[in-house]
Order: sequence, then structure tokens, then C-alpha cells
Amino acid sequence: MKKVAMLLTFVMLFLCGCGGKASGTTPVTDDVVTLRIANSEEYIDEGGWDASETITLSDGQKIRGVDSLVNDFEKWYQEKYGKKVRVLYSTYGTNEDLYNQMTLGNSFDLVCPSEYMIMKLIRENKLEPLSKDFYNKESAYNYYAKGVSPYIFKRMKGLKEGGKPLTDYAAGYMWGTLGTVYNPSKVDKKDASSFRIYLNKKYYKRLTIKDSVRDTYFAGLAIAKEKELAKNGADISKILNDTSQKTVDQVEDVITDMRENAYSMETDSAKQDLVTRKADASLQWSGDGVFSINQAEKDGLRLCYAVPEEGSNLWFDGWVMLSDGVKDDKDKKQAAEAFINYISRPESAIRNMYYIGYTSAITGGDDPMVEEYVNYVYGSEEKNAMDYDLSYLFGKKCVIKADPDQLDRQLFAQYPTEDILKRCAVMKCFSNQANRRVSKMWTNVRCYRFPWEKRR
Amino acid sequence: MRFKRSMLGIPYVIFLIIFVMAPLAVVFVYTFTNGSGQFTLENFLGFFKSSRTIATLVYSLFVALVTTVFCLLIAYPTAYALARSGFKKKNILLLLAVIPMWINFTLRVTALKEVLDLVEGNLAYYPFFNTIIGQIYDFLPFMILPIFNVFDEMDKSLLEAGRDLGADRKSLFLSVILPLSMPGIASGITMVFLPAMTNYVVLDMLYNSTYIMGSLIGSYFNAYDWHNGSMVSTILLLIIILFSLIGKNKTQNA
Repeated sequence: MKKVAMLLTFVMLFLCGCGGKASGTTPVTDDVVTLRIANSEEYIDEGGWDASETITLSDGQKIRGVDSLVNDFEKWYQEKYGKKVRVLYSTYGTNEDLYNQMTLGNSFDLVCPSEYMIMKLIRENKLEPLSKDFYNKESAYNYYAKGVSPYIFKRMKGLKEGGKPLTDYAAGYMWGTLGTVYNPSKVDKKDASSFRIYLNKKYYKRLTIKDSVRDTYFAGLAIAKEKELAKNGADISKILNDTSQKTVDQVEDVITDMRENAYSMETDSAKQDLVTRKADASLQWSGDGVFSINQAEKDGLRLCYAVPEEGSNLWFDGWVMLSDGVKDDKDKKQAAEAFINYISRPESAIRNMYYIGYTSAITGGDDPMVEEYVNYVYGSEEKNAMDYDLSYLFGKKCVIKADPDQLDRQLFAQYPTEDILKRCAVMKCFSNQANRRVSKMWTNVRCYRFPWEKRR
Repeated sequence: MRFKRSMLGIPYVIFLIIFVMAPLAVVFVYTFTNGSGQFTLENFLGFFKSSRTIATLVYSLFVALVTTVFCLLIAYPTAYALARSGFKKKNILLLLAVIPMWINFTLRVTALKEVLDLVEGNLAYYPFFNTIIGQIYDFLPFMILPIFNVFDEMDKSLLEAGRDLGADRKSLFLSVILPLSMPGIASGITMVFLPAMTNYVVLDMLYNSTYIMGSLIGSYFNAYDWHNGSMVSTILLLIIILFSLIGKNKTQNA
């Protein structure tokens, strides 16, 4: 009977051992490069479009996601580079989930975190720099170098960690702003154009804020510092990255009031609550805003998007290579950079934008395809159409003729004007100490307070 | 070696070691260490020094207490009525009481959310009330089942004996039925009270943004603070042990 017990033990151990590795058990031969990619959920075109969804651009070109971009890449790579690549694609929920997965020993080659997480990874020496040739515009397949929006590239280059600009490591993927999606029949545009709305008693329990420390801290910070932000020539980026104890205390008071006034602190229920008219305004990322507005339109509700004028958040997600995955493996690095370039082709960027609703960092460079796509979606030939200037973003003359209504809605959410972006700052990675201060503040805000206890 | 009956337990023991004992050991290690791996009681002391975390503990206990009391008030007569009804009907009735457990929990709370919203107009005005309704909805079957079982197995002749000896309805209940049903009540309370302290999904889904103990653990873990997260888990564990000991005494006394 001892044998039975031993056997059982082995079976158990075997089962345990398998669990962790289920995805990578197929043997990989030498001539196939395996690329382990991790990305946010639903953050890339997964194909399967109906024929009716085909995008037809003005020059007659048709774009349709039949297969997923990942599968298309595998085919394209073999065709162009004559090598086989196998992509192991996995997803994660938040930047923190990705980081936790990495600490728990899951390794990847190419991941797509947000700017602050990229900075954290650079600080911890976990990233492999992009190769020199990556930015060489002469190379035929360097679609990223040729297509990235010069404006976004400049903003990314302005972000430095340990003296090194982010662009040394990261290729921009999607970007956007933090703003307010609101129901214009209930909320004034003027009210929605300030973070103050989240303290406005007029909308008591009709507002949603984010159940996320960084986003809500940002909103609270902008309110606490509104006077400084309004000054002429204020260093917006510096003010909106303030995590000193004094500031954190001030923000704690603001967020406590915001929570009092809010309908909910949500992670993804706001879209639903806006559509069912339970909430009138909600703090959202621009991409989710576009999605909410589209969704509501189908249900016959008109929603708008506003970026708070005191100064808001500009964010972007970027592809970075992890050094424990690609270091000392030339083939892998080549495949990883080829992947970035493949999804940076104008056609891929359009497929992604159509599929996920966010704004691609790719504007196409000399290729007019992306501009034509923006025209296809938002262009209007009506008499009252207004000029909407996106030249700053495209790095060449680009004026869209759009329905005036769109200036408060999807077009504005997806492609804000330069004036708006000038008032937007990137929220950098907090230092460990600041992180502790902010988390403690967050716990204080969320924990129960006895009725007889005074506010801090 | 000859087969012994105790060997049937081997798979369970292995399971216990890998999935219960080992994680618990990890939790303990994290509870009593700091970021650089040194032994410390700072995590624990920090919890009891901060009025915020103490308030959260009190709030969780209060939520759990109110939930348990109302579950008991509803479940006790229900279980009694179920157990005393005719045989055929009884199982169907019990089934009706337990069927909600078969439906996915998030689905139920989502439906409840819509109902509450309809009744209240704005869900966010009554977060505490909503939480209690949600918790009762979620945990009621766990209170009904154990109490139903003791009623079902209760020796009817004891009731008859009581009546023969001249007990009126009130004293029959107080001196026969209630003491006999104590084990069911005790196990119902342990099944409701402790989970109700940590079940923050109900609060999240019904838009009560105040933390209870479960959410506190989650928030520490989200900020990579394994030490404080584990510390809160350990405190919960101590409370569970305390309550089980009290529950055990009560059952034995009865």
C-alpha cells in the first residue's frame, strides 16, 4: 500500500508541476523563434470582423480584420524575414498585475505597460534598449520610426528616467487623456470642463470616480492645486507630480469629499451607469470615453467628453522588451522589434483603433492612410462642417472637416487639440516613499470613520 | 504493508499541506517580517495604532453582526416551518429556499442592484442598508440549512413529553426547542458571520466604497504591500479561531 501512497504523491506533484507551465509545453525547435508577448486585455485587433465592417478609405483601399493581428504577424514575419516565429500571447488586467506576474517568475519578451510602469521597469534595470537600427527611417520595415506621431514621440522623449529618455526603450502604442464623460442634458459643459465637478453638490451622488489610486489622486491633486495651476507660466508637469506629505494631506481631504459626493467608485461599471442614466458624469480615460459615447448612441443617449481645463493627465502605453527575455538572443530581439513595426503599419494601427477605440501613437508619417481613416470616421461634407486642425499631431498639414457636434464628442476624445494637450501632464512613476504615502492616504480615505471622529 | 482505512486520507493530507498549510506558513512569515526580511511586530502594532484600521475592523464586525442577526431572525422560523411541514412538501420547500445558491452569485447581486435602484431611486444614498440586504441575500441559505437539519432530526417524542408534563407553548420553546436547536444556530452563525466580515464583493457591486477587512487586504496587495496584507489576514484568522472556540463551548454546553 505504500506504493499506492507514493504513486498518489507523484500524481499530485506531477499535476502541480504541470499547472504552472501549461502554455509552453510544446517543444520548440531551433529554427522557430518563440516570442512571449503580454498585453492588456482586449488591447489588440483580434480579427473576426463582419464583411459589413470593412473600412473603405477614399482611395478605395479596403481594411478588414479577418484574422488576428498576432496571426497576421506570424505570416508576415516568415514572408519578409524568412524565419518562423511563434507568438505566445497572454493578457493581464492592470499594470500592477503585470508587475506581480513578473515578480512571481513569469517571464515575457515583449510587454505593453503604461508610461509610469515603463519608468519603474527602467529604474529596476529590467528593460532592454531598442536597437540603434530601430529608429533608422531608411530601413524598409521600420514602420514605427516612419509612422510615429512626432508630437507623441517628443512628449515621450521628454520623459526621462535615470537620465535616459523613454524613447530609448519604449515604442508608443496607444495614448489619451483623462477626462469627464457627461450627459449634456443634465450637466453643463462648463461644469464638466473642470475637476471641480466631482465636488459639485449639484450633482450629488450622480458622479462616478475611479477606484484606482493614481487616477483619483491625479483628479484630487488638480483640485487641490488649482490656484497654482491657473498661474501664468505654471510648471504643470511639476505641480501634477507633487507627492510631498503636505500635498498628499491636502489631496486626502479633497478625495474624501469626492467620495462623499460620488455615486460610485468604479473599475468598469461607469459606461453602464451612464447609459442607464444612473450617473450623469464620470471620470474616464479617453478611449473608454469614446466607447461609452458610441455605446450610448446605440441606446439613443447623447454623451459628450470634456478634458478638465485646469490641467489633465496625458498617458500612453508603450511596447518594451524585457531584458531577461531577449537579452543575448538576437533572433528574439529582431522578432520583437519586427512585431512592434508590424503593428505600427498604418493598416494595423487603423485596425487596432477601430477594434479597441483608443488612439494610436501612429499617424503614418508620409503615408496618408491614418489621416484618411480619421476622415472616414469623422469627416463631414455638410455646410456647417468645421475645420479641426490636427497638424501638430500628424507633423504635416492635416485639417479634418468635421461636424461641429464632434468637437465635444468622439473626435475630441480621440484626437484632442494641441491647446488641450499643452495643459496635460504625464504622471510619472512615484518613488517608493511617495508610493507609500499615497497608498496610506488612499487607505485612510476608504476606511470607515467613526461618526464622532473629526476629519484629519 | 496492509491497507488501513486511514490511508484513504492521504490525498486529502497532501492537498492540505500544499494548499492550506504551505500558504498559511507564507502568510505568517510575511506577517512578522518587514521589507528587508527582518522579524518585526511593527505591522501588527501599526494596525492597532491607527484609528482608521481599527474603525475598519469595527465596521466589518458591525456589518457581520447585523447580517447574522437578521439572517437568524429570518432563517429560524423559516427552517422551523420547513421542518415541521409534511414530508413530500418539505423537500420541495427546502429546495425553494436553497435554489438561489445554484445561481451565480454575481448574477444575483447584479439583479438585486437593479431592484434596489428601482425602489430607492439612487443606490448611493443608502450604502450601508444595501450592503446588509446584499449580504443577507447572499448568506441566508447558509443559515437555513444547518438549522433545518437540527429541526429535522429533532426527536418529536421530546416535544410530546414536554407537552405531557404541562409545558405551555412558550416554555416548550424556551426549554426544549431552543436548547435542542443550539448546535444548528452555532454552525449557522459561523457560516455567516465570518464570511460576512470579508465578503467585499457585495459592497463593491452595490457601490458601498467603505472598506471592510477583505477590501483592506486587497488594497494592501495591490500596493505590493504583502506584509500588511498578510497581517490583516492573520488578524482575521485569529478572530475566526476565537469565534470557533466560543461556538464550540456553546454547542457543548447545550
